[in-house]
Amino acid sequence: MLRVLLVTDTDKPIGDLRDALARLGYDMLAEPATPQALHRVVERERPDVIIIDTESPSRDTLEQLAVMNAAAPRPVLMFSPDANQQLIRSAVNAGVTAYLVEGLASERIAPILEVALARFAQEAQLRERLTQAENELAERKLIDRAKRLLMEQQKISEPAAYAMLRKRAMNQSLKLAEVARQIVEATQAPRRHE
Amino acid sequence: MNTTTTLAAPEKTHLKIGFVPLADAAPLVAAKLLEFGHAHGLTLELSRQPSWAALRDKLLSGELDAAHSLYGLVYGVQLGLGGPQTDMAVLMVLNRNGQAISLSNRLADALATHGTLPRALATLERKPVFAQTFPTGTHAMWLYYWLASQGVHPLRDIESVVIPPPQMVSALAQDRLDGLCVGEPWPGLAERRGVGRTIIRSGEIWPDHPEKVLACRRDFVARHPNTARALVQTMLEACRWLDGEGNRREIAQWLARPEMLDVDGELIAERLEADAAASAPGMKFFEEGRVNYPRESEGVWFLTQFERWGMLARRGDYSEIAQGLNQTALYREAAEAMGVEVPREFADPVFVDGRTWDGLDAAGYVEAFAIKADRERT
Repeated sequence: MLRVLLVTDTDKPIGDLRDALARLGYDMLAEPATPQALHRVVERERPDVIIIDTESPSRDTLEQLAVMNAAAPRPVLMFSPDANQQLIRSAVNAGVTAYLVEGLASERIAPILEVALARFAQEAQLRERLTQAENELAERKLIDRAKRLLMEQQKISEPAAYAMLRKRAMNQSLKLAEVARQIVEATQAPRRHE
Repeated sequence: MNTTTTLAAPEKTHLKIGFVPLADAAPLVAAKLLEFGHAHGLTLELSRQPSWAALRDKLLSGELDAAHSLYGLVYGVQLGLGGPQTDMAVLMVLNRNGQAISLSNRLADALATHGTLPRALATLERKPVFAQTFPTGTHAMWLYYWLASQGVHPLRDIESVVIPPPQMVSALAQDRLDGLCVGEPWPGLAERRGVGRTIIRSGEIWPDHPEKVLACRRDFVARHPNTARALVQTMLEACRWLDGEGNRREIAQWLARPEMLDVDGELIAERLEADAAASAPGMKFFEEGRVNYPRESEGVWFLTQFERWGMLARRGDYSEIAQGLNQTALYREAAEAMGVEVPREFADPVFVDGRTWDGLDAAGYVEAFAIKADRERT
């Protein structure tokens, strides 16, 4: 039975992936609390597969083991010439990274990746919706700020400042928020010393 | 020198550039803030990465066009060490020096009392633990070189672990680490918080060593040669700007932000500004172009150390590997277009153990190290 280590040290709520994999009969190792403990667990418990968030800061800890310890799992990347490339590509897109011990046929981790993928993908969609909402809010704030800056600098009314923003956006064929960003950044950026 | 050459337009104009938040990411941050790319037909988009592994993967997958990268990491990917092999390119050196080795207070005290590192380590009565940042990276190489110069075998006498830099200082404070090798401002922060002491700066191990490079995949250079050259021009301009009066202090305030390093800007400024009184050369970004030429023999040095530490079996083509990686012709074109001089001669570096690397006999150089990996490991 494959020994699987799941590392969930980012804010993605993927902890229940552990139960899902345990139900499939995988031997789930206890998750270490720190990168240093992660190093020890991999050396002592010898997992066959490690599943980790692509964005986890602990990934370099696993890279150290992959280079210095031949028995440690190595990163699987989406361009590996492999029948499972499509699955691995989807996994990478969803933000899942897998590390496998040498000699382990990659089709043996297909079920693990599929389960992980389903959980991560669900989460990715949720995050995307959240990010989108946050971006919209941030853009509105940015446009307001740029408007206020223009009103102060040019001594003009709010509608006039808004019209100026819109005109610039149209002339440069940019999004309104992008023009606003340029205006805000221009007033914040350090002076250029020639 | 002809500085009015009209160069062909970039094939790709919007570039996504990866970086890891460290003080030496300053050239990228400056290039973006001041939009130095615009004059060369480029718009840069910076993309902060949570780990070197993530940065590597995104370079390889094409999600990033180029990146701020540990010198040795690029060579590790070229050789396929611990991961997939891909042909890589080093476009230029972004900085020299500016890293350090810190010891826990306990170990620093023991070293002061007992005089030598092996004796100081023996007082711990367990295997000492040292942290660095990436297995084939620069910090691992500075750490191993220094330990060996002190008579400590990095593969036998200590445990070498990788810990994300922002977590290193607290690990040191909690007595979970005995020492570390990392880029500024983290050694500075350890010292300021009183949890560790800088024992040697990287510029004392190899004076003016190359540290971060601008890297991309080799097929990116082949498909977008004008873009690659324009990017080198842009980064040369950013490096030149960083040598201007007061500019490092300004960039430090940007690096200090929560979404970047989230560390006090004054501390970063101190670590970025050349300290004339210091015993070792500090962080260098330009120095009239003396920093930036991607010298091939420096790349070969990393290969000798990979061999020394058993990551690579000896092979006779180190110079060819470095010639393939380091884009010296492209760099010269970019430098000439920018009116930046390429040094005609380079002094051979002399290391902390007194050895000189002349770039010639890699096998003999490795062989003469008393402390290295056992032959059966390689």
